[in-house]
Amino acid sequence: MNRLLAVAANTYRETVRERVLYNLVLFALLMTVSGLLMKQLSIRQDERIIKDIGLGAMELFGSLIAVFLGVGLVSKEIERRSLYPLLAKPLGRGEFILGKFAGLGFTLLVNVAVMTAGLYLTLAATHAAFDPNLLKAVYTMFLGLLLVVALALLFSALSSSMLAAVGTVILIVAGRFSDIIRNMKQVAPGTPDWLSHALYYALPNFRNFDLKSRVVHFDPVPLADLGWITFYAAAYLAVVLGLALAVFRSRDLV
Amino acid sequence: MRLGRWAFLILVPVLPFVQRQVDARLGVHRAQQEALYLTGSQLRRLAPGYESLLADLYWLRTVQYYGGQRIWGGGHYELLAPLIDVVTDLDPRLEIAYRYGAIFLCEKPPVGAGDCERGVAILEKGVRNNPLNWRLRQDLGFFLFTFLDDPKRGADVLMEAARLPGAPFWLESLAAQILYKGGDRETSRRIWRGMYEQAEEGPMRYNALAHLRYLDALDQAEAIGRLVRAYQERTGRRPGSLDELRAAGLLRGRPVDPSGAPFAYDQETGRVSIDRRSELWRPLEPGGKQ
Repeated sequence: MNRLLAVAANTYRETVRERVLYNLVLFALLMTVSGLLMKQLSIRQDERIIKDIGLGAMELFGSLIAVFLGVGLVSKEIERRSLYPLLAKPLGRGEFILGKFAGLGFTLLVNVAVMTAGLYLTLAATHAAFDPNLLKAVYTMFLGLLLVVALALLFSALSSSMLAAVGTVILIVAGRFSDIIRNMKQVAPGTPDWLSHALYYALPNFRNFDLKSRVVHFDPVPLADLGWITFYAAAYLAVVLGLALAVFRSRDLV
Repeated sequence: MRLGRWAFLILVPVLPFVQRQVDARLGVHRAQQEALYLTGSQLRRLAPGYESLLADLYWLRTVQYYGGQRIWGGGHYELLAPLIDVVTDLDPRLEIAYRYGAIFLCEKPPVGAGDCERGVAILEKGVRNNPLNWRLRQDLGFFLFTFLDDPKRGADVLMEAARLPGAPFWLESLAAQILYKGGDRETSRRIWRGMYEQAEEGPMRYNALAHLRYLDALDQAEAIGRLVRAYQERTGRRPGSLDELRAAGLLRGRPVDPSGAPFAYDQETGRVSIDRRSELWRPLEPGGKQ
């Protein structure tokens, strides 16, 4: 456990040194604050516009951070040959993979917290009432980002950074179109049911983590919904991290 | 290097000029194409998870388009209905887009597009997408009665609205008034006063206030018309101008409408009406109703 935490802490330190991270977080904050300007161009939609832009920016830039930093977690270590001395130490490959995941996950948690604080401050500047429901959308968004990190880690263990980025982005996009995949038959009538069903259940369903519209419209989000989303994320994460571990273990790195 | 500097100095001021020429030739068509080819349902498919954000951006665009056309576009609003359609396809629960969109479409030019069939269609879409929203049904009822002159349908929709949770108690009596009294001015005044009292600060409230002031101006014009007839009965001739009514002691102040503009007076017919130069003036309805 201590070794896992050491890898996680090291990964966190490494990722917070990346300049791209600060650029993306800064851009997300700027976008959120730009809601203050956007509201001037609209009619009576101040709060909604700021929430939509803030949550949208948080998700978009969070995904970019997860992909850009996640795809290099293993492949960069291999390319820089810094992995070999690590594996020569008493460190299991499982501890390495989970430590990397936990480290980047913590980086994302800090970033999401900063962006959430930025969103609440922007809302406070417009004298909007504090809306704790937003945190529910932020929580599920964070679960989705953890899944992106796990996918990036899996591809990173499989191939180079570039290919890992392409593979991860394809899965994110496919996961966002899950509803269309389920109803593929309406678009392509010849598609067999088993194929659309298999794809629908196999691909990560990123729509599950999207509660933005519900919280912006003040719809109630029951705790049971959050429980099921958390369960889905935990199960999918276990499968993807298990696969990443299996792939990493099968690689000849000695 | 020197040549590059000269080219830079020449090209920088030339660019805005060229852009203006391109806008003048293609501007309207480009915007139309964009609105026509990218429908709301296509945009929904393009950006899953960001529909709400896109709806906001398209709503900003709609408001800017409406404002721009109202001020500089000479009252041409061809893209208004497609834009509102895109916004409400992207976010079917964006109440404000239905309510303001219907006003923008229904009001007569140059204030609006003067296309109330489409305005009512937008509200009907809003009612279909939000069956429990009494405000949208209330607006639909008002608009059917006020702009499409259909008291029967208007009253039916208001009765439906009155039965929804949270609806104000007076909607039911207003529906009955519309049904039995039809299009009298007092009913219109009640409708616009209701709209005015419910609306928050902004164009919706301003629009309701403008209608109330217009109705007041019609009342005043009728009252002055009655004074013209009284003057004629007293003197055997119509006054040459409305100032003569003041000189005869029939009017105390200068006859101006609620916007401060003097009323128009036709000595031939003795008719007093809102002056064309007044901000409250509206074109005549078919049949001469102002």
